[in-house]
Amino acid sequence: MVGSKKYSKRRLAGRYVLATLLLLVMVYPYLYMVLNSFADWAQVDRQLVPSKFSLKSYEWLLTGGEVGIARPWMNAFFNSVIVSVASTFLMMLFGIMVAYALSKLKFRGRDTVNNFVLFHMFFPAIILLIPNFLIIQKVGLYDTYWAMIIPKAISLWAIFMYTNFFKAVPDAFIEAAKLDGASDFKILYKIMLPMSKSITAVIFLFLLMERWTELLWDMIVVRSDNMLTLNVLLSQMFGPYGSYPGPLYAASVLLTVPIIIMFAIFGKKFKEGMQFSLK
Amino acid sequence: MNKQNNKLGWLFASPYIIFGLVFFLGPLLWSLYLSFTNWDLIAPEFDFVGLDNFRKAMAAPGVQSAFWVTYKFMMLFVPLVTAMSLAVAVVIQGLPKFKSVYLIGFFLPYLSSGVVASLIVQGFLSYNSPVNEFLRGTFGINIDWLGSPFSALFIVGLILAWKFTGYYALILTSGLESIDKEVYEAAAIDGVTDRQRFWKITLPLLYPALYTTLILSFGVTFGIFTEVYQLTGGGPNFATNTWQMEIFNQAFTNLQAGYASAIAIMASIVTFISIFVIRKLLESWGKRNGWV
Repeated sequence: MVGSKKYSKRRLAGRYVLATLLLLVMVYPYLYMVLNSFADWAQVDRQLVPSKFSLKSYEWLLTGGEVGIARPWMNAFFNSVIVSVASTFLMMLFGIMVAYALSKLKFRGRDTVNNFVLFHMFFPAIILLIPNFLIIQKVGLYDTYWAMIIPKAISLWAIFMYTNFFKAVPDAFIEAAKLDGASDFKILYKIMLPMSKSITAVIFLFLLMERWTELLWDMIVVRSDNMLTLNVLLSQMFGPYGSYPGPLYAASVLLTVPIIIMFAIFGKKFKEGMQFSLK
Repeated sequence: MNKQNNKLGWLFASPYIIFGLVFFLGPLLWSLYLSFTNWDLIAPEFDFVGLDNFRKAMAAPGVQSAFWVTYKFMMLFVPLVTAMSLAVAVVIQGLPKFKSVYLIGFFLPYLSSGVVASLIVQGFLSYNSPVNEFLRGTFGINIDWLGSPFSALFIVGLILAWKFTGYYALILTSGLESIDKEVYEAAAIDGVTDRQRFWKITLPLLYPALYTTLILSFGVTFGIFTEVYQLTGGGPNFATNTWQMEIFNQAFTNLQAGYASAIAIMASIVTFISIFVIRKLLESWGKRNGWV
């Protein structure tokens, strides 16, 4: 426990055991997923730990197996990558730009915009689902990548986080840079961004994760089989693949691994940023 | 300088301003308008029906269930996730080494997609799964996990708790870390027991962080969709029918855009008021105990 050195070694060991047990319970579903994706098909969902393994499930990911179009899984994977990367990039870019304006550029109407962002944030998003879908349909973006990217190009949360963070950067830095003849773009790029590295890791990971696992929106604005994202395809295959759960587990692994890799890359910065953002 | 700042400010803020008008303010008004019509998402003509949609929605079992199911999820999910994340935070707090390894391990479930979590749980609880084989073989009982109202609700609540525990534990851990260690040392001198220390010192000082996780977890219950859509479709007999599920069904399955808009507005109002009341209750609860 906090700050006390009086705990005996035995109690400390007990703590590690307890923490490890808790962790095992928490990550067991992931293990179950990975094991089943490699399991022989006769054993999928039949054993806690399979004893016979095969790569057939992954083969199906590459070939499409007996169901649906030729290579639906890999195609969906690339759709997911395109949509998530574009969307996350825009959310970051616009988040930083707008936050810089709201925190450091004194323009007329700033308070109004600021209040509008807060008003927007407090509004339950569900009310916008139907009209936003109709807008996409009316402007002819239905069933395109743009339908999945444009309405998800702005994250209020990112704007909010960056605005709070930039406010904490002393104005003196910016004024000094301006005296040296730096433009606002340069200030943003050379001062604000490097200073916000750890918070950027947090915002980036949360945005990417949420975009990558989005279901409802991607599901309603896209219809063609070759346009689906991996998450939507997985969701739709629940039925048709009912008797072939193996490939579904393999697809789940395919859907989970990239985000874990990103998390591993930015993990250290992420922890710093979390601690900062929670203060 | 000032004029230039003005221009630049609007330029930098313009992505949001355009987005806010096109994808928020416009749609908001459109949604209000639609809610007074009987539009079916396809036909070019539709009628203005006044408050009919709202009247119809209030009496509909789907909407009534959505209203209550949210609070049922709340009663299951919030205590569950709070207890779990508190337990995780307290257990890893005292670890001198590998604390961040554990923290990241606990955070992993948060990265998973709701579809993946649903798939795993469905497989895990399928008729021939090891769990059910064990229950059948040992106790001779057969549980239709997703087919009976309470267990279906419980399972969705459990998936959500699994997902959010690590995230909230992270918040609570930094809350614990910010507690002044001298308080504990003083308490140790006074001979305080472990239990007293937790209830009288840790919990009150942790309250700000706990408040954050409570508000977040209450908020989660108003936006449940993926797990329910995937596992139960809102059933059995509306037992897991959330607001989002009902709106999705009415708009995109039954193609009643006007009616669904009315439900969306009702859902927003209910969410807004509920969150407001919950905030006030939490604040006054904290104040009454002298925690804030």
